[in-house]
Amino acid sequence: MKKLLIGALALGMGTGAAQAADEVTLQLKWVTQAQFAGYYVALEKGFYEEEDLDVTIKPGGPDIAPEQVIAGGGADVITTWMAAALAARERGLPLVNIAQPFKSGGLQLTCLKESGVESPEDFPGHTLGVWFFGNEYPFYAWMAKLGVPTEGGEDGVEVLKQAFNVDPLLNKQADCISVMTYNEYGQVLDAGISPDELVTFNYLEEGVGMMEDGLYVLEENLDDPEFADKMVRFVRASMKGWKYAEENPEEAAEIVVDSDETGAQTLDHQIYMMGEVAKLTAGSDGALDPADFDQTVATLLSAVSPDNPAITEEPSEGAWTHAITDEALQ
Amino acid sequence: MRNVLPVLTVLLVIVGIWYAAAIWMNSAWTIDRADGPLTFSEIVSDTMSQDRPRLPAPHQVWAEFQKTVFDTKVTSKRSLVFHGWITLSSTLAGFALGTVTGILMAVGIVYSRPVSMSLMPWAIISQTIPIVALAPMIIVVLASLGVDGRAVPKAIISAYLCYFPVLVGMVKGLKSPDAMQLDLMKTWSATGWQSFWRLRFPSSVPYLFTSLKVGIAAALVGTIVGELPTGAVRGLGARILIGDQFGNPMMIWSALIAAAVLAGVLVTVVSVMQTVAMKRMGFAR
Amino acid sequence: MELVILAFVVWAAGTFVAVQIARSPGHDAMPARIAVPVIFGIMVLAMWELLVTGLNVSQVILPAPSVIASTFARSTSTLWGDFLQTALKGGVSGYLIGCSAAVAAALAIDRVPFLQRGLLPIGNFVAALPIVGIAPILVGWFGFDWQSKAAVVVVMVFFPMLVNTVQGLADTTAMQRDLMKTYSAGYWQSLLKLRLPAAMPFIFNGLKISTTLALIGAIVAEYFGSPTRGMGFRISTEVGRLGLDMVWAEITVAAIAGSVFYGLVALIERGVTFWHPSQRS
Repeated sequence: MKKLLIGALALGMGTGAAQAADEVTLQLKWVTQAQFAGYYVALEKGFYEEEDLDVTIKPGGPDIAPEQVIAGGGADVITTWMAAALAARERGLPLVNIAQPFKSGGLQLTCLKESGVESPEDFPGHTLGVWFFGNEYPFYAWMAKLGVPTEGGEDGVEVLKQAFNVDPLLNKQADCISVMTYNEYGQVLDAGISPDELVTFNYLEEGVGMMEDGLYVLEENLDDPEFADKMVRFVRASMKGWKYAEENPEEAAEIVVDSDETGAQTLDHQIYMMGEVAKLTAGSDGALDPADFDQTVATLLSAVSPDNPAITEEPSEGAWTHAITDEALQ
Repeated sequence: MRNVLPVLTVLLVIVGIWYAAAIWMNSAWTIDRADGPLTFSEIVSDTMSQDRPRLPAPHQVWAEFQKTVFDTKVTSKRSLVFHGWITLSSTLAGFALGTVTGILMAVGIVYSRPVSMSLMPWAIISQTIPIVALAPMIIVVLASLGVDGRAVPKAIISAYLCYFPVLVGMVKGLKSPDAMQLDLMKTWSATGWQSFWRLRFPSSVPYLFTSLKVGIAAALVGTIVGELPTGAVRGLGARILIGDQFGNPMMIWSALIAAAVLAGVLVTVVSVMQTVAMKRMGFAR
Repeated sequence: MELVILAFVVWAAGTFVAVQIARSPGHDAMPARIAVPVIFGIMVLAMWELLVTGLNVSQVILPAPSVIASTFARSTSTLWGDFLQTALKGGVSGYLIGCSAAVAAALAIDRVPFLQRGLLPIGNFVAALPIVGIAPILVGWFGFDWQSKAAVVVVMVFFPMLVNTVQGLADTTAMQRDLMKTYSAGYWQSLLKLRLPAAMPFIFNGLKISTTLALIGAIVAEYFGSPTRGMGFRISTEVGRLGLDMVWAEITVAAIAGSVFYGLVALIERGVTFWHPSQRS
């Protein structure tokens, strides 16, 4: 009897549910946190399921390069920053931007006022903390634009490879450190330093801003109509997740904390992060604005750093496509 | 039992030094943040209860340890017991894999000249390769081979660090019978198989256990290294990483304490096995 | 496909040659001792090259040895700078400080049984700890430059060294010690003439283990913050840039440095403990 009932239910729900859902693996750029709330919300609220997708979200970490994971076949789609994706493209890994949920970037350089840094002209002679691992390109472009050498010395800056926390600033090991508006900046404030003790430079405002978290896939996969169709559904559901997260930041933060397997994230910090991330995703419907792409490329090319060039020439044709978003956002 | 008093004394001294260091290292922040001059007792009381100390005081670490070990359900991902179990299972898998590899290679090296000549130098070189550099690559390569998840890569990294001490100890042990003993076996016209089981292997057992103690510790180091920078989402290494990233020193220290407890338990288990085996084999003096 | 087959032909040929040399009458001579592992190494490299090319493995997953070699040749000055920063400044200085402190500590507690009984269990315990976990903490304390790396190395090598030395000092039989007494040797005489020499195999065991620990410790510590040079810095940065050829060049440097380091210690050991059965073949 029970079996019959279930059978009837399955029939009633239509044939779609009977077929196995399409599997998609997403490799994140970093650990589980509200920076990726849209994807976790889409997963937990069943938006992926509605699109008949079985999505696996793989958190990243300080030593996981999403570009390498996708090249190894460990993921179908990755989130990464545009400069890193373009750099990978120039090094022979043809990544294509299929969607850009982040309209603007949250990367900043924040300095203690007492260190004497008030404007970019004050940088020489100071120690700056920079994130590497594909995140250093905006910094080196900026320094190249300012004409400041990065090898230390009187008229140059001393560059530190900053780990993943804000301790170098608190311990006064660095005068300025890299922060994201939505994460480390909040940590500096939480540590008891007030905003008026800080001088903060936003990369966008300094004219060296670059597109951050976008969705990238391998070019050759896009030729497969089945894969393209999966991506259309994936992007549609993900953007639905992002918009839901923007409107319900607290619920989204809770979903993120519940999805975090380290059990180390705190709800307060994730709510803060969600609030800040929402400001960055607010202007995007998912489609990449070609002007933004051109601006990132122009910035990279206008200030090719001799030590750390992300790209040295115009990216080859096809570094981004609207094929997926056009269909997803109809 | 006669060691209890000395050990407790040394432990007390360590805790004392720890408190003194906590006051000294955390006071810079206290003084920096204060509006006016502080008395010594104000400084001390502040250094004992900072949210983000450079060196958390022992009682702060203990409070966090207690919270995450005893006051949290072990099935919860906020429980250190849960993360300790993840680390332990990878460690044991890596230890088993590494020990078997190490023993087999040692036997090959002692018995086959070509194997010995070609393998031994490379076994040494293999240990000079920084495993942290390989860890992310091992994960990517395994993923492209279709092995998903973090458990297998972690066990491989752990085995990579663990097999070497076992190999070195076993080679030494299998070679430890001197020429006279080996000649004696020959005069008894023992087969190669017999002289292995009756002479070489038994004489290598003390060496084996000594290296197993090093090996199990190395396996734990391997697992934690495998968890630390590779985006592992569970395990004690992942807790250290997240604690570092989100500026929660108490979380780092309590994960370290948990790792220490784990190491202590593992080494003790091997030691007990050693004592039992040595007694039964008649090595005990 | 032909390349893959060729790889196995290389494998078979390499094994054949190595076995022939090992079985030849001159196998104990120096040339054979060097030739066999070198042939084995070349064989592995050749197979790696052929398989990577033959199976079309992406260069961002596993670069071919030839690519790594050309990167190595191109960036020797960078590699040298990284080597100085990590291996010499961080690794060797930490190794020397850590090992000598441990031997000194072992000798100091040797005279005080109370301390010995108190410290040994704790030393044994700490030697088994995953010390790498404190790397982020020490970087926070000692700053970003090589000092924090040396500190990590000191802590990593200290306890294995201490335990080995103490164990070694205890490795004499009652009969040997009695003999020293009948010679009416004092503490220092019996230490210098009997117990320290007897401890040498153990001390060198600790020294050898510590060589690899030192290099690994110095490199791991750089993952948690460093100046813009150093082997750990380069490896972690280049993985992020998909410069896997540079990563492998750096790994090669680490392997060479580590082997030379280990080889030096083993050479000294051979000179000091020539009498021990394990040194005879």
